[in-house]
Amino acid sequence: MEEKLKESLNELAERTAGQARPGLAEDIKHRIPHKLVRHRGGLDTINIIIDLRVNKLTAAAVIIIAMILLAHFFSSRDTPGDSIFQDSKMLVQYILGTRVGGSDLLAVRSRYESLVEKGEQAVYYGDKADLKDGSAVLVQWRLADGQYKIISGDLQEKTVSAEELIKLQAEMLKKKIK
Amino acid sequence: MEKNTKSTEQKVGLAHLRGEQDDAAKREERLEERRDSLTARLRTGDRSAAAELVDMHYEQIYVYMRRLGHDRQVSEDLTQETFLQAWRHIGQLRDGKALNGWLYRIAGNVSRLYWRKRQGKEPTSVERVDVPESRGAEHDRVSRNEELARLKDAVARLPWKFRQAIVLHYMGHLTIAQAAEAAGVRQGTFKSRLNRALNILREQVV
Repeated sequence: MEEKLKESLNELAERTAGQARPGLAEDIKHRIPHKLVRHRGGLDTINIIIDLRVNKLTAAAVIIIAMILLAHFFSSRDTPGDSIFQDSKMLVQYILGTRVGGSDLLAVRSRYESLVEKGEQAVYYGDKADLKDGSAVLVQWRLADGQYKIISGDLQEKTVSAEELIKLQAEMLKKKIK
Repeated sequence: MEKNTKSTEQKVGLAHLRGEQDDAAKREERLEERRDSLTARLRTGDRSAAAELVDMHYEQIYVYMRRLGHDRQVSEDLTQETFLQAWRHIGQLRDGKALNGWLYRIAGNVSRLYWRKRQGKEPTSVERVDVPESRGAEHDRVSRNEELARLKDAVARLPWKFRQAIVLHYMGHLTIAQAAEAAGVRQGTFKSRLNRALNILREQVV
């Protein structure tokens, strides 16, 4: 029986896989960042949260508070902040789970894609954030001087410091929790 | 005379087998060297290495996603997401030997996250599994189709960790050691997951 089951699994493997679309590899290659950056922090906060099966809102609150404390502690933008930001932006992406519509979203998305093509490490929250919230961060990317450029819900491009960005993200989360 | 002929044939057969084994060992060695060099280039941030990584592994990841129960479109999206995550976490890659397992682990996390976001929704398993007609009479073909469809459904309904174990080892043909590394667990844990998964499948399919 066991042998027959294994044989069937083998046959199923052959029949269900199929071939990938020929253009898939090229699509993926187009999304290779211009600058491959090593993730310096070594701590993958999101995976830790998932592995610990902590309630995601509780975990998010703890991490956001920790990030704000860290930002104050180091009181500089060019500190271990990079890895913290890598994690925080993934966290916000993960937590804001609702999908909203909006005709302006296409324009924001296209701006984001043009940034990525230029090699900017832009992050897009447009498919998760509330478009009606004027202060919501829809896209963010880092500038050479360590500050961040954002496109907010009112569709304005603004330059903000790392601390301001954290506050904006925390606000987004707070509204989401409410 | 006949004995001599048989003995010569056996020797030729053995030599041929040894030759094939040597070739396979050399191929494996070359592949390992290629992976080592690719890993070293990835760690320095070489974009051409990233493109090479895609060429070498995108089909394998796509097929992995399909076997984990995702439909074609979702499998493509998750394959792309796997590589995006890989580039974000290049610092975690240790050496060439770990490359395959590392990529599978990322793919596994991407797939698990996807299911978790869709908690409560069953994996889609609507595509038919067709056995070619040349395999036998129409009746046999229909009956085999039904068997495989039942098995596919049972695999899709397994808890994620068990499904992953079945897909990596029995459907992806990785050894226990490779599959355990790809799942990010010890071999003992992996074997226990496999056994439990097989037990569930046996109960459901029978």
